[in-house]
Amino acid sequence: MTHSDDQALEITFDTATVGLDALQRAAYAVAHLMSVDIAVSGDRYVCRLFPRDPAADADELAHRVRSEVIDQTLRLRIAAETGPLRNLIFALAFSQTGLADDEAAKP
Amino acid sequence: MTQGSWQMLPIRFHRFDDDSILLTNLVGEHFFLSEDEFLAVMDGTCSDQVLLARLRARHLIQLPGERIPVELLAVKLRTRLRRLPDSTGLHIFVVTLRCEHTCRYCQVSRQPSAKSEYDMSQDTARRALDLAFRSPSPHLKIEFQGGEPLLNFPLVRWIVAEANRLNQAHAKRLTFVIATNLALLSTEILGFCAAEGIYLSTSLDGPADLHNSNRRRPGQDSWERTVAGIRLVQERLGPDRVSALMTTTEASLGRPREIIDGYADLGLRQVFLRPISPYGFALRQRGGAGYDVSRWLAFYDAGLDHIIDLNRKGVPMVETYAAIIAKKMFTNEDPGYVDLTSPAGIGLGALVYNYDGDVYASDEGRMLAEMGDHTFRLGNVRNSDYRDILLSEELLTPLQQSLTLSAPMCNTCAFEPYCGADPVFHHATMGDFVGHKAMSSFCLRNMGVFTTILRRARDDSFTRNLFWRWAQQ
Repeated sequence: MTHSDDQALEITFDTATVGLDALQRAAYAVAHLMSVDIAVSGDRYVCRLFPRDPAADADELAHRVRSEVIDQTLRLRIAAETGPLRNLIFALAFSQTGLADDEAAKP
Repeated sequence: MTQGSWQMLPIRFHRFDDDSILLTNLVGEHFFLSEDEFLAVMDGTCSDQVLLARLRARHLIQLPGERIPVELLAVKLRTRLRRLPDSTGLHIFVVTLRCEHTCRYCQVSRQPSAKSEYDMSQDTARRALDLAFRSPSPHLKIEFQGGEPLLNFPLVRWIVAEANRLNQAHAKRLTFVIATNLALLSTEILGFCAAEGIYLSTSLDGPADLHNSNRRRPGQDSWERTVAGIRLVQERLGPDRVSALMTTTEASLGRPREIIDGYADLGLRQVFLRPISPYGFALRQRGGAGYDVSRWLAFYDAGLDHIIDLNRKGVPMVETYAAIIAKKMFTNEDPGYVDLTSPAGIGLGALVYNYDGDVYASDEGRMLAEMGDHTFRLGNVRNSDYRDILLSEELLTPLQQSLTLSAPMCNTCAFEPYCGADPVFHHATMGDFVGHKAMSSFCLRNMGVFTTILRRARDDSFTRNLFWRWAQQ
């Protein structure tokens, strides 16, 4: 964790272990605490954190972002592994409502 | 099950409290486990057979190739969504904007009692009834609102008679509710309600000083009139024919016990601890709101504590919001509460016919219109048919954009099966139908309520059984 020239808090992630999607989702989820600028530098994602509260604890913010990135990565993994089953459940649920038949019958 | 021999079903997780993670599935079945247990299940190294069996019983994992869990989840999902094809069930008739109260937090641009140009006409009411009976719902609830609907009682009487006449051809289950402050309740009105099986819903904010400070009228006797009205309805029509709602103002925040005890003293068995609405006149006046979500949640928690204590002592009392959520958490039923459904309840759960014939997607949409924002105006009874209204862009766009299964953060939120989409709230407070969930007070408030209900159910068997009983109502 470092401070950039404009005093924004900076943390980095290895592009080989963390996905951009997870980073963006994490930035969205912590938007009530800070805004996050994400850039790529070589094999690192560089995240600059801009706290909404100037008195916010920098270590706490960095922990929060790292924790959120891990959770979002896990959520993406669960979604990828269970996506086909999820689609199957929805397909089965709607297949017996008659709604899908009505839609199919339309010219 | 041997290591790695199970397969995750679609689940979502939430870091609940210290070392406790909440897992939920698509239909809200849930389970708490520690972080170590969670990671072991995720990476396939868990060897705790009891834990795995519990997760499997709740349809959070399955054996590879199993078919029954998927089919059961599909049935449960279909059960939860079964109300959708039957929309719309609730039809709100704003029979007048006139009111003799001047409540500090009033959501409606009320008009003085003498201004009859703000009354709904019989022609408008007839056209609104025609629309209401186009609904495929087998159950129609017609609710009279205002203003104070009893100031236009002749029209209420006419609508009930006309609806009953129309229903001879439709054979729907028809119920009527008058949302009234009860100040104008008369023998004639009471006799009519008795004869027609009409329910009365009123506002009771708590003890006399609090209620009369919030709900002002000439003579400063709103509480006295409301309480007398509740007793009269209970005696003449029966205890289940009148219910009351409270609105939390800043002055309420330190008094949850008094408010609830007041309900119990009146023999009321339900109290709905409602935050103040951010709409319409209330927003303009900022009538006594002045508190943030965390203070309301503290009030709600203290109120729920007291209600549970009353039940422990043998005094039956239900908190309505917790009961709605408990049904979503502990059964496969969706209670159809318009603020906690996805697709959103606007239009599909309720339609509002304003005094001038304008049709709105929700009561809150009408309140926004009173402030000059007509985003949720779907048409007018004079020139729109049912299809125009239900297929209008003004309805379909917010419905489509706000679906919780696709909205950012909602789609991965463990509380999604218990929650709902509220495009009107987010439009009013954040300027778009989805809102930014990390900064949404709707999200913060509901996550707070879900958390307190789940924690109480997890940690105390009496409370768990109480919530289960509420869920069965």
